[in-house]
Amino acid sequence: MEVPMKAGFLAAWPLVLGYFPVAVAFGLLGREADLSPWEIQMVSLLVFAGASQFALVGLVAQGTPPLLAAGLGLLLNLRHAFYGPALRPYLRGGPLEAFLLTDEVFALALKTLPHLPEEERRAHFLGLGLGAYLSWNLGTLLGSLGAEGLKGLSQAFGFALPALFFLLALPHLRNRVALLAGGVALVLHLLGQTALGLVLAGALGLLGRRP
Amino acid sequence: MTLAVLFLALGTFLIRFLPWRKPGRLHLGQAGPALVVALFLASAFGPPPSWAWLKTLAALGATYLAERLLRNLGLAVLVGMVLYALF
Repeated sequence: MEVPMKAGFLAAWPLVLGYFPVAVAFGLLGREADLSPWEIQMVSLLVFAGASQFALVGLVAQGTPPLLAAGLGLLLNLRHAFYGPALRPYLRGGPLEAFLLTDEVFALALKTLPHLPEEERRAHFLGLGLGAYLSWNLGTLLGSLGAEGLKGLSQAFGFALPALFFLLALPHLRNRVALLAGGVALVLHLLGQTALGLVLAGALGLLGRRP
Repeated sequence: MTLAVLFLALGTFLIRFLPWRKPGRLHLGQAGPALVVALFLASAFGPPPSWAWLKTLAALGATYLAERLLRNLGLAVLVGMVLYALF
């Protein structure tokens, strides 16, 4: 493994802490929805987008036609359209980078990439993404194999992602546009419209000038 | 189910890939910071508003102090998690 990729992989560990228990919960949900371990794993291997995976499996379990459930999952993922362009000043995205571009990888990359030499950025990003991907899929595997004992982890580790996002958001908490967008997202989140709120936050961010 | 998974996977990939790949004239302004702050707020404060938010705020404060003291993102997250579990 290249040195910058290894550094990115190691830098992903706060994210790994947050992903793993959520992925276990996803695997368990898949079993409750009567999917086979292979079907559950296929979702995590191919989609790699937590909220939409939960939506797909949860809706199918409730009797929603799978293609309709997948369409709703796609709507949840519309916010991802903002991530690549926001990273473009630091990294040109190829297919592999795009596949690994989750919420958390984006937020961590936005913090780290600007401080790295240009030639190291791609490998660092891929290391970050690989750490996240392995954690997500290992957690899914354990959950899908019925690791009930790991259910407790979901609660104990539930604070990992909020803590990580908080530290990544800290430099932006004096940014009025970011605060306004965050406030709108929070209100919609509390009204049960989280995905719409995040898309609107991205759209509001477009109105701000680059510093 | 397989077709639905493939549809979701391909659609998600294209949503991530095409806007990143295509060099456009779109100026993103503050979209990056706006999204990071939005992701933080949405992940930390679940509905409905409750006393649990105070526990979250206390743990966030501890996470902040840990980051200031340790200057390490991962360790600060770990400290925050442990304290959150203890609160």
